[in-house]
Amino acid sequence: MKQGSYSARKENLSVEAATWYPEDKLRREKKRLLLIAPEELPSKELRICFYRNHCLEKGSSMCSCCVVLVLCCLGLLSADQSLKPQLGDFQFATNNPTLTTVALEKPFCMFDSSLYPNRSYAIYLYVMKESASTISSLVTDESSKPLGSTFQQTSGGQLGPYNAAFFDVPDCAVPPRLPDVGDMNKAPDVLTQYLFRVGDDGTCLYDPNFLGVCNPPLVPDTTYRFKYVLVDNSEGIVKDQTLWSDPIKTRRSKLPMKIDTWPGQRSGGMTVITSILSVLVFLLLTGFLASVFSAVMGSEDASAETKGASPTVQQSELRPQLGSE
Amino acid sequence: MAKTENGVRIFQGLLILGNVVIGMCGIALTAECIYFVSDPHGLYPLLEATENDDIYAAAWIGIFVGFALLALSILGIIAVIKSNRTLLLVYIILMLITFAFEMASCITAATHRDFLTPNLFLKQMLERYQKPDAGNNNDKWMSEGVTKTWDKLMLQNQCCGVQGPSDWQEYTSAFRMTYSDADFPWPHNCCVLDSRGSPINLDGCKLGVPGFYKSNGCYAAISGPMNRQAWGVAWFGFAILCWTFFVLLGTMFYWSRIEY
Repeated sequence: MKQGSYSARKENLSVEAATWYPEDKLRREKKRLLLIAPEELPSKELRICFYRNHCLEKGSSMCSCCVVLVLCCLGLLSADQSLKPQLGDFQFATNNPTLTTVALEKPFCMFDSSLYPNRSYAIYLYVMKESASTISSLVTDESSKPLGSTFQQTSGGQLGPYNAAFFDVPDCAVPPRLPDVGDMNKAPDVLTQYLFRVGDDGTCLYDPNFLGVCNPPLVPDTTYRFKYVLVDNSEGIVKDQTLWSDPIKTRRSKLPMKIDTWPGQRSGGMTVITSILSVLVFLLLTGFLASVFSAVMGSEDASAETKGASPTVQQSELRPQLGSE
Repeated sequence: MAKTENGVRIFQGLLILGNVVIGMCGIALTAECIYFVSDPHGLYPLLEATENDDIYAAAWIGIFVGFALLALSILGIIAVIKSNRTLLLVYIILMLITFAFEMASCITAATHRDFLTPNLFLKQMLERYQKPDAGNNNDKWMSEGVTKTWDKLMLQNQCCGVQGPSDWQEYTSAFRMTYSDADFPWPHNCCVLDSRGSPINLDGCKLGVPGFYKSNGCYAAISGPMNRQAWGVAWFGFAILCWTFFVLLGTMFYWSRIEY
């Protein structure tokens, strides 16, 4: 592809670029394609690649273009369904949502069709309780500027959305690789690039010196909804926004005094030990009494016999008695 | 006559053998119970806080019963050799008393083992771990014991909570009163720590990323030693008593047959 001819064509459109709106984007890009002579395109498929900015920079070999083509088409097909903030992957962040925090995936590749090179953008995150959607769910004012409502102003999202944070647009071309979290050096970067934790800062509400946007902990057992908004930094205007996320509920906690500590029925071992030992003790006592009794009876017999018999007879009678036992 | 003499000698020999075995078992019982009482796993504060530490009481009784069995077996051997009725009567009566004590020890150990359920330790952990000062000295002593024991358990056994770290999320606790959920979803020792005692990745631990927090429960590390103690005291004592039963019956029979 000849770069020179393409850039010449692009300059013809530069006047129109300033007045482009997001919804007209696709129509404008189609017009741009028609200006480029068909013979300059290495293959017919490249035409679709141009719908995404990052395809323009690539495009040297046919194979990479085909792969990118597939990804682009998939991206286009799923763009409408995924344009909502999502909860972080459960396999990755297992403690989510917690009692007072929710960790959301950062908006990767959600706003790519609205981004222009050489302009700086920021992403604003808005949080509101689901009950506030009947009161107000607007995140922009009349002049398309993002709403600057804070946690305190909206009573924690009860009266409308509040701005919880702003951060740079995450890089769609080089998304964080989740398996890299196993590497100790890369792990902190992967976490901050991939997830944003709503409710992370417990002190900013009470710190009089805090100047930034406060992201205080949420309320347990409450449903919240989140939205990402793309804002152009120089103009301060909202360029694009996702839909409100699905309702996400924070956890509820139970009281420990309700835990039942009754052990249930007796174990078999305890029953065996108790019953057998009781029987043994009973038999021992019986045997002891029997032997004492027989000893007493024996001595009574012996004393009775000694009164009426000679000593020699007594001895000979006792010996057989002992021998027969 | 020689035959009956032989019969008597054999019977005496059997009784002496029985007493020798009782003596050796007595030594073994004493040694085993001293080992249990010394608490090598450091779990006694947990039981003390439940106010149900009777398996330790059973082990203490076992120490003294073991000594008594040793002494009485020597007395028994002497009494059988001398065929002295008085000595044998003393032996029988003292052995019956020792039998009763050992029976109490076995039944106590077996019964109180049944009370040691996961829920008991869970409730205790939630109510006492890191509890700020409250109440009287006894309460404070028990809470400190529980806290130290749990910290040591989590560190040594690489575990968290009774059934898992989710215990800290599912229930409110004394810990939760002091430390907010945003900063500490679970205690500090539930994170995988490096050699200096600080978490290798605090954010990973808070989010529950596998590899940065301990996902096992500590119940196996608690119940294992306690079960071994309870069953060791109860079943070994039971075996000794079964043997002693036969020796005592034989001795009573022998006693009733010798003449003054």
